[in-house]
Amino acid sequence: MRPENHLGPREVLTGTGRRSTPILRQHPETGRPAYHEMVARVAVLERAAVFFSLPEGVLRALARRLRRVTVASGEMIVGQGEPGDTIFFIEHGRCRVMIERPPSVVTVAVLSDGDVFGEGPWLLKRPQQASVYAQTDCTLLAVDRQSLQLVLGRDRTAIENLTRVADHRFRTFADTTVQATWGTLFKEATVVGVYSPKGGSGGTCLSLNVVGSLARRYPGQVLLLDLDFPYPHAALLAGLVPTTCLARLSQVPSEPFEEALLSAVLYHSGGPMILAGSLRPEEVEEVTPELVTRAIGILRKTFRYIVIDLGVTISDTTLALLDLTQHIVLVAAPELSAVKSATDAIDILIRLGTPHDRLSVLLNNRSMKPAVTRPAVERMLNRKVDIEVGFDYSRPDQAAVNGEILSITNPRSEITRGAEALADLLDAIHGQDRSTTFAAGRSVPASGHPGHA
Amino acid sequence: MMLATPSSGVIKRTRVAVRRSVLRGQLQAVAAGKSESLTFDPDSAAVDVAALVRQVTAGQRPDSLLHQRLAGAFQRSGIADIVIDQLAAADAALRTRSAQLAGVLGMTHAVSWISPLLSAKEPAVRTAATRALGRIGGTQSAHALLRAIRREGPRRTLLVELARAAPDLFLETALCETKRTGAQSAVAIAAGLRGRRAAVAPLLALLASGNRRERVASCRALGWIKAESALPAVAGALGDRDWRVRVSAAKAICRLGADGYLPELEALRSDPNTHVRKTVRIAIRRLLNTTEWPKEWAWR
Repeated sequence: MRPENHLGPREVLTGTGRRSTPILRQHPETGRPAYHEMVARVAVLERAAVFFSLPEGVLRALARRLRRVTVASGEMIVGQGEPGDTIFFIEHGRCRVMIERPPSVVTVAVLSDGDVFGEGPWLLKRPQQASVYAQTDCTLLAVDRQSLQLVLGRDRTAIENLTRVADHRFRTFADTTVQATWGTLFKEATVVGVYSPKGGSGGTCLSLNVVGSLARRYPGQVLLLDLDFPYPHAALLAGLVPTTCLARLSQVPSEPFEEALLSAVLYHSGGPMILAGSLRPEEVEEVTPELVTRAIGILRKTFRYIVIDLGVTISDTTLALLDLTQHIVLVAAPELSAVKSATDAIDILIRLGTPHDRLSVLLNNRSMKPAVTRPAVERMLNRKVDIEVGFDYSRPDQAAVNGEILSITNPRSEITRGAEALADLLDAIHGQDRSTTFAAGRSVPASGHPGHA
Repeated sequence: MMLATPSSGVIKRTRVAVRRSVLRGQLQAVAAGKSESLTFDPDSAAVDVAALVRQVTAGQRPDSLLHQRLAGAFQRSGIADIVIDQLAAADAALRTRSAQLAGVLGMTHAVSWISPLLSAKEPAVRTAATRALGRIGGTQSAHALLRAIRREGPRRTLLVELARAAPDLFLETALCETKRTGAQSAVAIAAGLRGRRAAVAPLLALLASGNRRERVASCRALGWIKAESALPAVAGALGDRDWRVRVSAAKAICRLGADGYLPELEALRSDPNTHVRKTVRIAIRRLLNTTEWPKEWAWR
């Protein structure tokens, strides 16, 4: 009988195994992991959705049963359509989730540290919905169905929560696949930058509602690119949960970039599409001017309007985007500091070469009795306010809690009126020269808005 | 007129049939959710409980509600504990029955007690333990089966059950182990039987750098997986110096339905080895006519 640790003559001669760089590597497991190893494993489990709420004892029991696997960049981890029995936690690295939908392959998510995948087959009793490939060298922690059943078997709440997450992810991926296969239908989109020089002016809220208004006229053809760093929350306000973002596409090679980018776009049932700039503050650095320029170049071929929430800061990326925009909407609140910031911002924009007719000022009343009146604001800005949005009470906050977009759900809202006015303005300036281009496309106006054809 | 007294054999068979029927009824009641406990003597050798459980759960997934109900009922009735105790019994028949029952019930916590049975002296116990670990599955079972393969060589039952038990990425990582374990060819076969596409890259690496057994196994596995991306490498193996690898590569190309490689197969018609010539002849016939899969290739 051959002993288990017997080395062949070649290994004895070379002193190593046959392959110096294995594609997959399973770390040697002992019966009971060391203390620091357990701490590391529990930390990974705690970062994962649903698992963080499990009791300490359950997490430790689960951590003991984890097996660590290293996967080389580009290797397949899970195959679409195959039966699966393992949940993977990403300890380090990034993984691409791809759905094959002949003739195309759609990247539906890019997962990174702390994310989980592979839960669908166990919880939903379906084959793997997507293939998962290692985008970088990855270290994964794998736990099989048997171990999970043993540990979580009696915790019905945990399994129900996991099932809910798995089901939500399944539906999101399915929607993303459909939208990403729409393909390139149009010519160039109009890029609109929404810039609010003072935080809390309602820039994100207005961007979202303008996109909602435009999307009612052109369903599926309007995109909100949320670059309000470091905390872009447009998707959250719309009740969507992004699984990937622009920042995570920074390392995607040029060939599958377009498909990965379009797959990262979230679809709201009301018509607008949202692409998150980053999901975590530390990912902001990944969004470089080059990445943004490359992304806008692709998105312009796919959408009719791209509204970019530029946020507050002026960075290299913002400057690169300002070059790419056809229209800039400056959002100001009727407060002294906000108006002063707006004055400075207009000065900068004019000096950067923004034509006056492509710059609109939107005054957003965040209180019932603003401290600074509209004439005073216009005096300070030295230009007219194009659109004024009335005070909307708690409707924007309530809509955010409900995950609704006011311009889609509440036509009486002041925000809706302001967003509609801005959409009219944009259509008036940028819509005419595109009417012939879009006549043959899929720009079917929403049935409730015949006047916006 | 006197009635003939039935022989003791008939009475015994009747008793067994009645007990089997009663137990089946209990299992069906538990499976239907009408009952939560079981009452029978697990020491009795007369009724094959594992076979009855298999009958009741036929066509169900191992993680189905029905399986869970039955496992719960066995646990509540204390029979599951008796089954685990009996896995260490001196009587081989008892150990066999217990292993079978633990397998059909998917008793994950029994794996530690079933694993030593893989090296039992009695073939029936070994087979029952192997099948039980295959049915239970999971990392622990797969590790035990892999150790048995390393110890005893690639027995067919062990390979099949390893393919069944191994969780995702287990076989793939085992294939990539840099330490030579002597089980790579067996793992390659198991990976092929499992048919996961994630195994293609490790199999290709094994085909490129493995020994003769490993190259043969890799080719066959790539064919079973239907890894079209591996076709160039498999076609390259048609020119291998070992005739067994050439046979394996021809079979894989046939399995993949790669009629683009007919010229390469045609060239092997004049191969010095008679096995290669025969395999190539069948492969070409299969590729051209798309007839049924040759029965002689069912398992080799």
